[in-house]
Formats: sequence, structure tokens, C-alpha cells
Amino acid sequence: MSDIITLQNVSVHFPVRGFLPFLKKGEIQAVSDVSLRIGRGEIFGIVGESGCGKTTLANTMVGFVKPTAGKVLFEGVDLSSLPRQEFKKVRRRMQMIFQDPFSSLNPRFNVYQIVSEPMLIRGEDDEESMKARVVELLEMVGLSSGDLYRYPSDFSGGQRQRIGIARAISLNPSFLVCDEPVSALDVSIHAQILNLLLELQEKLNLTYVFISHNLADVKKLCDRLAVMYLGKVMEAGNSDKIFAKPLHPYTQALMAAVLNIDFSGKREIAVLPGDTPSPIDPPPGCRFWQRCPKAMRGCKDVPPEYVEVEEDHVVACHLVNGFPKTELPDGYDQPLVRSEKTVKVRR
Amino acid sequence: MEQVLKLRNLKVVFPTDYGLIRAVEGIDLDIYDRECVALVGESGSGKSVTSQAVMRLLGSPPSLVRVDVLEFDGRDLTRCTEKEMQEIRGKEMAMIFQDAMTSLNPVMTVGRQIDEVYIRHEGDSKQAAREKTVKALELIGIPEPGERANAFPHQLSGGMRQRVLLAMAFACMPKLIIADEPTTALDVTIQAQVLKTLRGMQKGCGTSLLLVTHDLSVVASIADRVYVMYAGKIVEKAPVEDLFIKPHHPYTVGLMAAVPTLTDEKKKFTQIPGTVPSPVNKPSGCYFHPRCEYATERCRREMPSLVPVGQGREVRCFHPLSVEGGKSSE
Repeated sequence: MSDIITLQNVSVHFPVRGFLPFLKKGEIQAVSDVSLRIGRGEIFGIVGESGCGKTTLANTMVGFVKPTAGKVLFEGVDLSSLPRQEFKKVRRRMQMIFQDPFSSLNPRFNVYQIVSEPMLIRGEDDEESMKARVVELLEMVGLSSGDLYRYPSDFSGGQRQRIGIARAISLNPSFLVCDEPVSALDVSIHAQILNLLLELQEKLNLTYVFISHNLADVKKLCDRLAVMYLGKVMEAGNSDKIFAKPLHPYTQALMAAVLNIDFSGKREIAVLPGDTPSPIDPPPGCRFWQRCPKAMRGCKDVPPEYVEVEEDHVVACHLVNGFPKTELPDGYDQPLVRSEKTVKVRR
Repeated sequence: MEQVLKLRNLKVVFPTDYGLIRAVEGIDLDIYDRECVALVGESGSGKSVTSQAVMRLLGSPPSLVRVDVLEFDGRDLTRCTEKEMQEIRGKEMAMIFQDAMTSLNPVMTVGRQIDEVYIRHEGDSKQAAREKTVKALELIGIPEPGERANAFPHQLSGGMRQRVLLAMAFACMPKLIIADEPTTALDVTIQAQVLKTLRGMQKGCGTSLLLVTHDLSVVASIADRVYVMYAGKIVEKAPVEDLFIKPHHPYTVGLMAAVPTLTDEKKKFTQIPGTVPSPVNKPSGCYFHPRCEYATERCRREMPSLVPVGQGREVRCFHPLSVEGGKSSE
């Protein structure tokens, strides 16, 4: 299986400006040093809390955001090296589905205008064939030709998301980024939309990047995944392997946070304390050290390396991989004793 | 047990140009002391309208509210004037909204917004109110509460903002708190934190809680009793454990199957086909029959009534399911 997207040490930093625009106060490291590959026909999950950089990473993959460092290869071609016209051609083959179906559709456009707009931009002008194509797309996503001239306000959240999906597949893309496509919807509608995505993948031979903060959805949907925290990948690889043996404490915490409805055993809400810290100028060590229940003294200063613990399963954690044989602070492997004050909250 | 809220035959309609929207069609609701009651349903099922009607927050027009009994803590709320209601809201009955960013005032520090509750309802001075505010923030688990009180809503994370709303709702130790989708906008990790805090506060303060949500996993985590709503009617009522171990209504079964868990099969999502019917044009008979796989001719003709099945349980279905998911005798 050839890779459709390859990320090579991609970093995306945003400057934080002070009172005067040229006085740089710091840097938000939205994504730092991420290397991943996404195979053709795969559903690749990116999981993490808000502020972990998963949306920025996805935006980088489709070229919305230029990486500060590193390379994004789409089918082996570096996106940033392409001239504008060439880039536009490639860009057609990657599309996005957005989180909020209420703000991602123009309320003054009817369904036909919304779904046909990408074709118009490509330069199609035959009204008849465009209309036929829109009807075909609507039927594919479970709407009908009777909806052609209705407006987004006439539809429920789930139906609007279907319109968004029809728009995304209108140019026959091969790569689709789904940015939390169901988190704004009712739980009962989740399944309908996710089943639709699976069905379309089979029919149209698509590759998905599926962004979510809920591990249960990701487990069911994805073939491979990356768990992100504060701009870094904590654990990545084959979904079955990671769920069978989650090694990073953060992955374990995310799994524990999924609420269940099983009343056969003892019920308890597992809580990972604290909030995601500020991504401005993070500490050099492991980014999760402040909230990690198993943190050691060395975790704060020594950056963990990526180690492939088994085939297609990479983890960055001192606990799993051991500390590197370099200069280490005293007592680096002692458990970290922390006072409440060390957990700095995002401002 | 003392009854905090007694609601009988609540009906809410909205007259519109397209016809009459019957949002709520005759709902009975009981909440007892120190109890967490969940009202579950999809968008458009009338659950938020019900909770707003309880607080008498629905304006008329646009809505028309009919209710036989609305008793809160032994008082008849239907006879209260707006002024009396203002005394009750915030002090004896408080609400937590879904979106903390839009329900907090963006140009006031969060501390001042909580101070207001004490100043308004307990007649405190500004200083005394602030002291209480800091204590309340500490209680709710906000680190450095003194500093945080001077922060504006945008300076806090989503989980923090939701905690501020909790602190505000619990400020006067009300009898009843209505939480309308309190964790829907949050990440799973933060959702777990907020739910745990909410449950802890509710137990600690001896408050009753009406939890309005569409997510059964949230219900399973903190509720004691559950009402399942569909298209403006209660379809099932049960203690939480009984409901999850042995759901009777096909709609409840569908909702439960829709909750994603880590033990599910891969690449297959169980869905309830179709969507909630339009409130202007509801189907004949049982409102759920077009989406129900067990529907019979009778379901298409008649609306079933809410009948008792076992202790504290009621179900509105001609063909209630038994535990194995098969059909029980009629």
C-alpha cells in the first residue's frame, strides 16, 4: 500500500505578538516535530483534547497552513514546492468536512448552490450536467432531489452535515479530512453519519483523516491513529495494537475518560485532573509531565524519543522506553512529587 | 421523601405561520429531595422547553403554556408573580446552560458575575460577596480561586468556564438545579471532570438536580432516575440501573445502542433509522412507529398510554421489549 500523505518532521508555530506587532512575545507551538504516514484507503484517526493541535495538523495536510519546518508530501510531492496553479490542481483531490454544520454552510445559498460551488470554481458551466451531478451526490448522502432548492435552515443538524459531505465529495477527491464531523450532533445521529462515511469510503475509494476527541468513535472507525497532546504525537500506529496495549499514560487516561453505560460492574467516573497547559513556549521535556499520573523527575527536562515498540506502534514516553543514556538530572527516575501550584492553567 | 418538584400535564405549544408546534404534550415530572433526575431525548424532543417551563422562563407569546400542577417545594409556581419568580430563580432554583461562553458576560470578570448572585439574593456587601465567591470557586475545584475570580471568561478554558457556571448555580445552595446539556460542548476528559464535580456538589449540598441531555452515557454516570422523551412525550420512566439493564421501549434500546463504547465491534455503527418527526406534522398513532422495527398496525393507529411496568417504571409502548431484546408477551 503506497502512502497518500507523508509528514516529515512537520512543525507549525504561530508567533504571539505583543503590544507592537514586531515585538514577538513567544511562540505557540501548535504542532511540533510530527512525522506520520497515511496509507491509501486508510482511515487515520487523530485524537486529543482541544488545543492539542489536531486541527492545525489536518489543516497543514491539506495546505491551509504552511508548515514552519518539515515537509508535507501528498503522493510523494511536496505541497509547498508546487507553483500555485499546480497546487490548486492537487488541492481538488483533498477536501474537508467541518465540525459545525451550522456555520460551515452559507445560509443564503440553497443546497444546489452549496454543492455545485466547487464545480463552478473548477470552471464547469453546463447547468444541466451540474444539476444531474448534484442530484446524484444528494442521493449518495441520503438526501433527495426534492431538497435541491431548500436552504440550510430547513434541515436538521444531521441533514446539514450530509450536505457538507455532498459538497466535499463533489469533485471526486481521494483524500478527505473530517474535522470532528459528529461532535456537534446528537449521539443518535452520530451513527448515521459515521455509517455514511464508511459507505462512501467503500464506494469512492477514499482515504480519511478522522479528527476526534472521543476514543470510542476512533476505535470503531480507524485503521491507524495518532494520539496528540500539546502539539506532539504521544503514541501512534495501528489502531488494534494501540487499543490492545495502550502504553502512553495519556492514551490510557483518554480511554478511561470514555463514559460507559455498562451497569454490570462497579461504576466510577475516571478523571484526569487539570487542564491542557498553555502551548506558548512549552517545557523541553515531555509535554504531558504536568498532568501525568506516573511522571518522574526527569520527565520535565528530558524530551522522550519515539521508539517503535512493535511493528507500526510508536510511543514517546520515558516510562516505556527508559531514559536515554545522556546527561540526566539527579534522581531522574524518582516519582515526581508535585504541589497543586505547578499545574499552570491556560490563560 | 420530600418532593421538590411536582409537574402534572405540562403542555407547551408555539403557534407559527406553518402551523401549531406542539413542543410538549402532557408531561408529568416528579423530583424528590437530593435526587438527580435525567431527561433524555434527541434535539427537538421538547426536553429543553420542559426545563424552561419549570423555571417559567418561556415567554408568552411566542409560547402558550398549559399546566395542571406546577409545584416547587410546596409552592404553586403558576400563581407566583414575575417578581416572586425572580426571587426564586437563582436562589432556590438555578440553571446551568450548555454553552458557558455565551451564558457568561464577556465584559465582566467571572468573580463579579458570581458576586452578583450573593449581592442580589443574600443582600451581601461587595466585600462579603467576593469572599463567598472565592470560597465557592475553591469548593468547585478551581486552583488559585482568588486570582481566577479576576479573570474574564475568555481567559479561562472551556472546563473552567463550565465550573464557574457550576459555582454560580450552587452559590445560594438552591433546592433544585436544572442543568441543560452541561457537558455537551466539552472534551471527554473535561466532561468526566465536570460530571464528577457536579455529582459531588449535588451530593454535598443536598441539592436536587434535573439533568437535560441527549447522551445516555452522561445519564448513566450521574443520574438516579431517568425520563426518556420523544417528540414531546415521555416514552419511558425508570430508575437508572433498571433502565440500562433492562430497557423496555424500542427507542431507549436504540439510544443505548448508539452510545459508542470501547468494547464495540469495529466498522459498524448501530443507528436508529430516520429522524425525529417534524413538530408541526407528527405521525399518527405512536410517534415512534415510523422508526420502530417492531411497529404493528395498532401502533400506526393508536397512541399508547404510559403504563406502569414494575416498581417505579412506566413505558409508553404496545410491545415493550424484555431484557434479551426479544419481544415480551403483550
